[in-house]
Amino acid sequence: MTSVSVIDELKRAQILELLEQGKRVDGRALDEPRKICIEIDAIPKANGSARVYLGDTQVLCGVKIQPDKPFPDVGDKGMFMCTAELLPLSHPTVETGPPQAPVIELARVVDRGIRESHMVDVSDLVIEKDKSVVGVFADVVAIDYDGNLFDACSYAATAALLTSKTPTWEMVDDQPSVVEGADKPLPITTIPVSVTMGKIGNYIVVDPNGDEWESMDSRITITTDSDGNIVALQKGGSDGFTQEEINQCGDLSIKVGAKIREQLKSSKQEGQ
Amino acid sequence: MADKRKYVIPGDVITSGPFRPEQNVVLEGNNIISTSVGISEIYEDSVKVIPLTGKYIPKINDLVIGKVISHTSLSWELDVNSCYVGFLPAQDVFGRDFSTHADELSSKLKTGDLVAARIANFDRTRDPLITISDRDLGKIDDGILVKISPSKVPRLIGKKGSMIQMIEMGTNAAITIGQNGWVVISCETEEGLSKAKKAVEMVNEKAHIANLTDLIKEMLDGKDES
Amino acid sequence: MGGRDATMVLLDENGIRCDGRKIDEPRRIMIKAGGLKNADGSAYIEFGDNKILVGVFGPRDVHPKHMSNTDTGILRVRYHMEPFSVGERKRPAPSRREIEISKVIKEALEPAVMLEKFPRTAVDVFIEVLQADGGTRCAALTAASVALADAGIPMRDMVAAIASGKVADTIILDVNNEEDQAGQADMPIGYMPSMKKITLLQLDGVLTPEEYKKCVDVGVKGCEVVYELQKKALHDKYFGNRGD
Repeated sequence: MTSVSVIDELKRAQILELLEQGKRVDGRALDEPRKICIEIDAIPKANGSARVYLGDTQVLCGVKIQPDKPFPDVGDKGMFMCTAELLPLSHPTVETGPPQAPVIELARVVDRGIRESHMVDVSDLVIEKDKSVVGVFADVVAIDYDGNLFDACSYAATAALLTSKTPTWEMVDDQPSVVEGADKPLPITTIPVSVTMGKIGNYIVVDPNGDEWESMDSRITITTDSDGNIVALQKGGSDGFTQEEINQCGDLSIKVGAKIREQLKSSKQEGQ
Repeated sequence: MADKRKYVIPGDVITSGPFRPEQNVVLEGNNIISTSVGISEIYEDSVKVIPLTGKYIPKINDLVIGKVISHTSLSWELDVNSCYVGFLPAQDVFGRDFSTHADELSSKLKTGDLVAARIANFDRTRDPLITISDRDLGKIDDGILVKISPSKVPRLIGKKGSMIQMIEMGTNAAITIGQNGWVVISCETEEGLSKAKKAVEMVNEKAHIANLTDLIKEMLDGKDES
Repeated sequence: MGGRDATMVLLDENGIRCDGRKIDEPRRIMIKAGGLKNADGSAYIEFGDNKILVGVFGPRDVHPKHMSNTDTGILRVRYHMEPFSVGERKRPAPSRREIEISKVIKEALEPAVMLEKFPRTAVDVFIEVLQADGGTRCAALTAASVALADAGIPMRDMVAAIASGKVADTIILDVNNEEDQAGQADMPIGYMPSMKKITLLQLDGVLTPEEYKKCVDVGVKGCEVVYELQKKALHDKYFGNRGD
């Protein structure tokens, strides 16, 4: 799925045949994502965590929050980093070793979607300007693969950040020290939601599953924020989209994203 | 007739004494030990374990469903859902007069095609040799592929074919079962196809349930609500 | 009373340890066989606060080809900790500790798996530590055995593991994180219960010859307790409620 694999022609033909009738193999509508299950606090010892099931795709995000040195010329902002890793146990074709381009793309797209939305207000993560800031690390790992890691990883990171608890630090003897009993949520400004669409023949399908992912010609991932603005976008795959299709995808990402945002919001309520 | 069936896991002592160890058991000292998760069966002079999990290991004469993964000018390579890749020589399809100049392999079978095939020969030092030259074998043009655990195939067939016949008659589907756990279902109606697929998946998930046959019959008789 | 850290009370006057356990009491253990859709076999374990997931693939083709063995299949093990699994975030790249533990676990499983029947193939065991709290290698080895059985890899026995150790001059069973950091000895043991063979054994700390023998004995008995839970995990998945 992240590498070139033998496209099952029979499978692709069956998928297209159904699409021509407006149907998908698992019975979904073309603009319908799979059922999303979010379990927060899956890793109690982390500052925040969420396990997300998107159909049979399963990912886990753990958030670690710890004091760090600021970037050289950005002493008044905290650090935010989101990574994504494809674990070898998630699919027989995943190899061990340093990540290859498709996984690096996955990690960077997930990171950008959250970063560009300014979900975490990094200017509110400073302990002492130019000396000590708060570093927020959202690490996502894919545990089981059935297509569309872009969205699954994004939802897991978003849910984990929404429900994270961060300590409060103060400088004592020039070192950051935890203030007891002053844990609080992260400063959150918006809830980014990514929606990935695949193009199979002339059809656009939302949230391609494993078989659809293998059969698609190209894909696009669009992230929107709580105001309905589009904040990040990535087109991938070896075919192209018409301008009309790009616009259609933009509209879909707002419509579908809004529903998913409600689900992410309620997972935040559960966490409190 | 098998005596005293027992549920076993690797390391379990099934019995001791002068028995010949057969599939999935091993002799340690005087004990016959299971090497798999499964059901042990003790016969008059031998012991074996029927595994409930595990990959498909090719056996000579097995009917399997294979998928073409590549080809050279002399043969095709088939995925037969095993750790060993199936080898189908061009002569099997083109005949003994096969010539690399005149006969192009992809004209008969190309990458991604499914075939009903038989294991012609296999030993662990060589990849399994495949044949599709019998009348009931060859390229599969039509139907959907459903994958089940190879260890569930006997359950899907049933005693003297009773389970598979019940499913075929209840849906009017034609079902080809590969010993390797790959199953091809074709049917004229979509309802029949969907029910047959569901029945096969039920066997895969609930093979250990005692009244599985009744559950499947119930599902087949019921109206299609999807 | 303690070991290297004199301020932590590891064993009080009633023989109760820092987390409320008695000296021969293991932490809460839960093992589940299966759970992953794509892996050929899988298992999940919670051992105290340790949360570890194992996926197995195989027997399967070996790449690169020169790594394969014409006489027997090979076993490959990767023990890996997630960045969020430990107190201070860990970088994703494999550390020397993870590489050593991968090797030790592989060598603990090799006596059990029977790969002579699968020449030119490999069996891959992928261990992912989601949350760590002392004794991860033992929990990982325990879950790996279950995952291998779940995958149908032929094995002459299961391998169960637990760590015994010493705090306050007393031999204890199942060393947790605090006891590992501040105690006097930590001895992880992996054991094949049918064949009665120890296949993983390491020691960190100081033991007298008598303490050493007692520590091994306590560990072996602990492994037998862990084995019952491995058995239960496989029975629950494969034999439904009818397991005997």
